[in-house]
Amino acid sequence: MAASIREKQTAALKRMLNFNAPPLKNTTAEPVWKVLIYDRFGQDIISPLLSVKELRDMGITLHLLLHSDRDPIPDVPAIYFVMPTEENTDRICQDLRNQLYESYYLNFISAISRSKLEDIASAALAANAVNQVTKVFDQYLNFITLEDDMFILCNQNKEHISYHAINKPDIMDTDMEAIMDTIVDSLFCFFVTLGAVPIIRCPRGNAAEMVAVKLDKKLRENLRDARNSLFTGDTMGTGQFSFHRPLFVLADRNLDLATPLHHTWTYQALIHDVLDFHLNRVSVEESQGSEASPAGARPKKKNKKSYDLTGADKFWQKHKGSPFPEVAEAVQEELDTYRAQEDEVKRLKSIMGLEGEDDGAISMLSDNTAKLTSAVSSLPELLEKKRLIDLHTNVATAVLDHIKSRKLDVYFEYEEKLMSKSTLDKSLLDIISDPDAGTAEDKMRLFLIYYITSQQPPSEADLEQYKKAMVDAGCDLSSLNYIKQWKAFTKMAATPANYGSSGVKPMGLFSRVMNTGSQFVMEGVKNLVLKQHNLPVTRILDNLMEMKSNPETDDYRYFDPKMLRGSESSIPRNKNPFQEAIVFVVGGGNYIEYQNLVDYTKARQGKRVLYGCSELFNAAQFMKQLSQLGQK
Amino acid sequence: MAADITLLFKASVKTVKTRNKALGLLDSSSRDETGGAKRARARDSFSGRAREVISNISKLKDFLLQHRKDYVNAGSVMCSDVSRMTDSERDQIDQDAQIFMRTCADAIGQLRSDMGKQVVSAQVKDHRAAVLDLIEAYLRGVCKLYSEQRAVRVKRVVDKKRLNVRTCVCLCVYFVSVCVCVADKLVSDSNVDLWEDNRVEDDLSPEEIQMFEQENQRLVGEMNSLLDEVRQIEGKVVEISRLQEIFSEKVLHQETEIDSIHQLVVGATENVKEGNEDIREAIKNNAGFRVWILFFLVMCSFSLLFLDWYDG
Repeated sequence: MAASIREKQTAALKRMLNFNAPPLKNTTAEPVWKVLIYDRFGQDIISPLLSVKELRDMGITLHLLLHSDRDPIPDVPAIYFVMPTEENTDRICQDLRNQLYESYYLNFISAISRSKLEDIASAALAANAVNQVTKVFDQYLNFITLEDDMFILCNQNKEHISYHAINKPDIMDTDMEAIMDTIVDSLFCFFVTLGAVPIIRCPRGNAAEMVAVKLDKKLRENLRDARNSLFTGDTMGTGQFSFHRPLFVLADRNLDLATPLHHTWTYQALIHDVLDFHLNRVSVEESQGSEASPAGARPKKKNKKSYDLTGADKFWQKHKGSPFPEVAEAVQEELDTYRAQEDEVKRLKSIMGLEGEDDGAISMLSDNTAKLTSAVSSLPELLEKKRLIDLHTNVATAVLDHIKSRKLDVYFEYEEKLMSKSTLDKSLLDIISDPDAGTAEDKMRLFLIYYITSQQPPSEADLEQYKKAMVDAGCDLSSLNYIKQWKAFTKMAATPANYGSSGVKPMGLFSRVMNTGSQFVMEGVKNLVLKQHNLPVTRILDNLMEMKSNPETDDYRYFDPKMLRGSESSIPRNKNPFQEAIVFVVGGGNYIEYQNLVDYTKARQGKRVLYGCSELFNAAQFMKQLSQLGQK
Repeated sequence: MAADITLLFKASVKTVKTRNKALGLLDSSSRDETGGAKRARARDSFSGRAREVISNISKLKDFLLQHRKDYVNAGSVMCSDVSRMTDSERDQIDQDAQIFMRTCADAIGQLRSDMGKQVVSAQVKDHRAAVLDLIEAYLRGVCKLYSEQRAVRVKRVVDKKRLNVRTCVCLCVYFVSVCVCVADKLVSDSNVDLWEDNRVEDDLSPEEIQMFEQENQRLVGEMNSLLDEVRQIEGKVVEISRLQEIFSEKVLHQETEIDSIHQLVVGATENVKEGNEDIREAIKNNAGFRVWILFFLVMCSFSLLFLDWYDG
């Protein structure tokens, strides 16, 4: 797996856009223009990976949604990138009948069934357009890659496979089957793109096990069919001679409910928690200044600006996992270096002015022209840098506003202490009844974490007190019902999750992190240092990868699709530690776990870990799902 | 890894055909001609011309690449005469290439204005605009090839000239020294002849030799400094021309932005003017309204007084 999953998916997309031929390296090749048509699934897959400019460079002149009104554009090949659903095939047949384009290259995101293929065939025959349908492909790209080593399953219709859908009490078998099929289909596409057949481990007795069984069956069927197997031929030939097979760990959300509710302190996770962030696009509200509006005037409208945080943004790649104060410092540093470079460029202007007066300075001139050429050529880079600095300044300021108004640092510290079972200096009741600190949601989150991580549930009297305080603060208590049920259930099954030891050292209360010249005056915000600690998911991964023996993971089932006969045992055949692993959380994941895995990987040389989840939610969305479950 | 199911598709087409035949549905072979004719008509105009422009640019690119080796080869003594190009041929190539590029750029501009006149849907307009952008980018790439070639050639010419100047200077020095030797010999010959006659001339000739030598040295120094200055100036001129190219590109780029800003400013002044008018009218209305209210109140009080007087 030398190339990351993001590169592999991008390469697959680019090949598809080049009419499924490998792209040429020649930079001055003749332009060939084409039109790209996608549905919402396709749009979600393409948008984090390719920008509009890159699409233009590949010759795509127009990119349109499948179900919009499209005009006929004669003499242009059209590339379709859609899911093989009923409506999409109907629309494609309609397009064929209306003869919108010259030739059609149909690419289906996951495998299309025979009957739908025949529908399209009959429509093509009826419109006498069979020769126009030049190629039909199954792309097997039904997953969204957000980072080099992180992917999610889908963004549209994610309610169908959300935590709520999987765990609701009145779920029917057919629904469950449908959900499992969707998840397995996407995971299968993921492994096809990755080009490796993994060894699967999963815990017993929950949704993860069902997914593992189905996935194993699907992989096995595909491998048996030697003629059409997707794992031979090209994949081995492209030089990925990995003798190590990756380890695929399936985890269930029910294993660890506290992490999604946790308040966080790293940059990317904070943005996801506090601002509106999906598919690598963050929208920030900018208020138009703070003058008091005269009575009777309309309230000032807030501007919403959205920014893309991509892989090309070096600052983002470097700092997305750093704690927030570090990020603030780093932005300041970048700003300083940028200003220094700008000053140098401006200085050249004065030197050029000197040249007109003094003819004898010809020798100086050669240096200056060289400097000028280099300055001019580096101007676009400087402008780009400025744009990125502005972007990060705006985003970080917005996050800081939220932190200050909701006192998120207090929550973070307290929750860390709760999760590590160290002594608490303030009682829970104080924080809940404090009107300044945070919204009702924050208080609810804190209480749920307390409830989940406490060894024994609080006594009835205490519980009543807490409930009263929370109702006063305006919280909604239905999620608490669900957590009570969950806790009772997991108590019977296994020991409650241990969050490992961690310590949080506040570095100087009320210390000013930045000097007054900067924009980030973090007064009153404690500078908290994160000590390394392992979340439950990371610990399970560690045990499985290093083949450590641990009562938690010894009971996990073992599947190997390449073996001739499936076995029910949970004894792994392979005794060596794994080099590569993929962790997938059924029921939803978030950036905190991702960051924890990234830190774990950094600490160990030569190991690669990919993180995936069926959907990505932040704490607010998860709370909503929990309250829905609690209301039933 | 994607799976190519085109063959599967063709197979399903056959299945559907046989199924239709079995069910006795009409065969759609009669629709061949109409579909073909419609398509042929639509192929004209825009895309045909765009494709022509692209093929022309490709021809230019092939031509440039083909003769690149000969063009760039600055005629070192060791290369064979067959592949050498004279300077006039190079100039010819330069001129031809420039004319060609200008015609291509004109053709693109022509297509753009034609497209603006035609009435087609918004999507087709966007598509055509993007196609023209792609063609322009391609032309720019080919022009860059050409300008790179030309820059290499100019550099070599400058180097050659530098080399020539140096050889000239060396030759000059050599000639001067030869002259000095000849002069020496002549002087010594004449001295030999006249030795018996004048002793005074003997004393003068070594001084003269020294003076000549000093003059030679001075000449050599002057030549060297001239040489240096000329070399520097030529280098500077080449760099300045390169910089100017960059600057003109940037200025042109900003032109469009300045135009749009101009439009916005004009619009803004219009809006401000209208706003002023509206404010003036509002003030007038306000004043007029007040007058009427006062009048009404005065009338009411007078009527009250009148009634009171009438009653009492």
